[in-house]
Amino acid sequence: MTTQTTAPKTAGTPAGDASGLIGIPPHIGRALATGGGVLTVVSTFLAWTWTAEFPGDLTVYGYPGGLQVLVLIAGALTAVLGLASYGIKGLRWLVPAGADGALKFAALAAFVTTWYTIIAISTQLGGIVNLEPGGYIAAATTLIALLGSLALPFERPEPDPFDPDDTGWERFKHTTSQNWQTVKAAFAAGTPRPLRALPSYVEILIIVAVLAVALVVFTYGIGTEYDELFVGFLITAGFGFAALNRSGLIGQVTQLTARHQNITVCGAFIAAACFPFTQSDDQYATLGVYILIFATVALGLNIVVGLAGLLDLGYVAFLGVGAYAAALVSGSPSSPFDVHFPFWAAVLVGAVASLVFGVLIGAPTLRLRGDYLAIVTLGFGEIFRITANNLDGTSGPDLTNGSNGVSSIPDLKVLGFDLGIQHDIAGFTIGRFANYFFLMLIITAVVVLVFRRSGDSRIGRAWVAIREDETAALAMGINGFRVKLIAFAVGATLAGLAGTVQAHVTYTVTPEQYLFAGTTPPNSAFLLAAVVLGGMGTIAGPLIGAALLFLIPNKLQFLGDYQLLAFGLALVLLMRFRPEGLIPNRRRQLEFHEEAEAPAVLSKTGA
Amino acid sequence: MNELPQQLVNGLLLGSMYGLVAIGYTMVYGIVQLINFAHGEIFMTGAFGALTVYVYILPDGTSMLIALPLMLIGAMVVSVTVAVGAERFAYRPLRGAPRLAPLITAIGLSLALQQAVWAWYPEAKSARPFPQIDGGPFHIGNVTIQTGDIFLLIAAPVSMALLGYFVMRTRTGRGMQATAQDPDTAKLMGVNTDRIIVVAFALGAVFAAVGAVANGLKYGQIEFKMGFILGLKAFTAAVLGGIGNIYGAMIGGVVLGVAETLAAAYIADIPGLDKFGSQTWADVWAFILLILVLLFRPQGLLGERVADRA
Repeated sequence: MTTQTTAPKTAGTPAGDASGLIGIPPHIGRALATGGGVLTVVSTFLAWTWTAEFPGDLTVYGYPGGLQVLVLIAGALTAVLGLASYGIKGLRWLVPAGADGALKFAALAAFVTTWYTIIAISTQLGGIVNLEPGGYIAAATTLIALLGSLALPFERPEPDPFDPDDTGWERFKHTTSQNWQTVKAAFAAGTPRPLRALPSYVEILIIVAVLAVALVVFTYGIGTEYDELFVGFLITAGFGFAALNRSGLIGQVTQLTARHQNITVCGAFIAAACFPFTQSDDQYATLGVYILIFATVALGLNIVVGLAGLLDLGYVAFLGVGAYAAALVSGSPSSPFDVHFPFWAAVLVGAVASLVFGVLIGAPTLRLRGDYLAIVTLGFGEIFRITANNLDGTSGPDLTNGSNGVSSIPDLKVLGFDLGIQHDIAGFTIGRFANYFFLMLIITAVVVLVFRRSGDSRIGRAWVAIREDETAALAMGINGFRVKLIAFAVGATLAGLAGTVQAHVTYTVTPEQYLFAGTTPPNSAFLLAAVVLGGMGTIAGPLIGAALLFLIPNKLQFLGDYQLLAFGLALVLLMRFRPEGLIPNRRRQLEFHEEAEAPAVLSKTGA
Repeated sequence: MNELPQQLVNGLLLGSMYGLVAIGYTMVYGIVQLINFAHGEIFMTGAFGALTVYVYILPDGTSMLIALPLMLIGAMVVSVTVAVGAERFAYRPLRGAPRLAPLITAIGLSLALQQAVWAWYPEAKSARPFPQIDGGPFHIGNVTIQTGDIFLLIAAPVSMALLGYFVMRTRTGRGMQATAQDPDTAKLMGVNTDRIIVVAFALGAVFAAVGAVANGLKYGQIEFKMGFILGLKAFTAAVLGGIGNIYGAMIGGVVLGVAETLAAAYIADIPGLDKFGSQTWADVWAFILLILVLLFRPQGLLGERVADRA
């Protein structure tokens, strides 16, 4: 390690010169960025290509379509942030942490989306001759906006002097890290203004508006019909989110939601419940219910991994135990038991079965170091599959019908409401998958409730203490084994709970649904990836992580064979560069980045 | 029904293969307290390295007598490259990070290696045949030994002897012991611990490569997912023998192999368990053995420490 500790920066004095990354005078750069943003918006109303062969129909003048809509949004964001950076009165609320960093990201969003579109058109249709003038204009304006925004001044980090003894390679590493620090500083945000106190009804209205926007964004993402549009959506949403984050808006919304936690959680559930009503048929509600199952299980895993710090690599097996238990008592013709339990009893059976297995696996291993748990759960996941395969009557007792699985699981009837058929409610048609979506949403609510309440409780604090330093926690009188076993058992039970619904949604449970790593989520590797990607120890993290990890392979068919490879590499890179995930838990973030300064107050679970 | 001596020999052979792979787990664990989940995949890449040498480098029809040493070298080169690369680029940056981080990295690495072979190795999407040694099975008394197992029968004891010599007698070996006992003090005594860790990964990979070639010869085919279950079993063997103890790994491997073979052969004779006896249940019994060991003797047969080093 050749890093040296730099002298602490004195507050207020800008270190180094205040120029941009590109040598254009800042005021011209700002004008270019703003103007570029405006012109980008205009360019989306032009035709970009001459033929409707490229999906989304980008041939119409005066009416943006497909990817153009995304560019329009990004361009508008750039233009508005550019205007805000001039300090225009009505727009100051947009940029509580300064507009410059945000402007760079917004310009990047517009630029990358546009150029991706242009390149996609050129490669698919064979050459840039297929572009109409509108396409060229959009490419040029987004480039101008990006260059302009990069010329904006920023505080350069203090240069770290060379160690004269360094070898050439060390020097190269040193320079690279210096340059990287500079680029990072260029995109950094300023210190946000404190949030003005607003009447609480206004704050709640803002939360409602934000949730509505989130619902629209999610619905748009789930409804994207072709690969290019989904890639464009990911680009725009990713950079757009970064831009809003840099502008300080996200930080302020987070403060608001922290102030009204219960309202936010309820609002989020209402927003999620609105999702089936935005769909005209069951096609995307299917995706919705699968995402919800995946997300709920990921959230359950997050109790085990994120809160208690226990690496459970066979989590999907507990989902499988719940699913099999529910399937066996569902009255399915391939179940050896000729019983048909009502739903509440089936849920109970599934949850209890998972609980029993959780304790059986956890009790011997949790007395030992965490690593043993990881490998034993990995083994359990595999053994569960093998056992379910073997219990077919020939290579073992007849219980699970072997590799064919328990099939033709009848649809649920809850309180006389048949979830298997369509219902018309207030003019909206609610199909089978939408019914299950609502049922699953209730299960999700249960898991969120357990997560929040246990996370804030005595036990939850003990989990966090154990996770951060087991020896210290034991010294403080925490019964480590008991507390860990509770975490493990709670996690297993919640997975079993989700499994009972999953069995009914999919009609069939087979051993191959519960692999360690397969091509369709949920499986243990995907679940872990969702938790790690989203952010360990948070509620929103695994939900977003699961949605992304479900939609990416589902929408990007070309990824196909390489998705598991990509996920494996993503896990390695995430642990290396951003172990706290997309939505960091603050305490967790500190744990992973020891050099960061500790904030004055930590929220309870940090969620 | 096979005779008992035959079953014991089968178990011994299977177990020494587990042991060869288990050495990699136990050495790395002994020195950096990391379960290298990707070790099963290092084993798998070794098998494909050997196959590459035979199919794509050597001319057709090369005698196995010449080909086998070259295949072994090929397997070792690939395994060691993968293991050292993983150490350098995935694990080393995470030294000192919370314990969960390297475990998740290991899982990611294992997944990525498996999928990389599946996606890019020619025709690796299904099992590929592995070259076999000609000649019929050998009979000693009423015990039959397949030709493919001869290699294992020779290689396992030889590798163990070499490893024992290396760890006990050479400078690097003593450095390894010192680092395992106390890395900080070892550093103060002039041991280059970074190098020792690399050596531990590399040595583990060498033995995994030997095990991989033995596996290919034994079963006649190799597959991209062969490392997963075998890695699990080898880890079980390492725990069984006392993780951190290299002799324990071998003994644990043999015990596991024999137990598994006997379970598959004789459990069906126990009244009430008649349906749990076939080969399909062998993995389940191995797993139950792991749970039982963790329950009753977590320090393993040879009793290496399992306490947390603060």
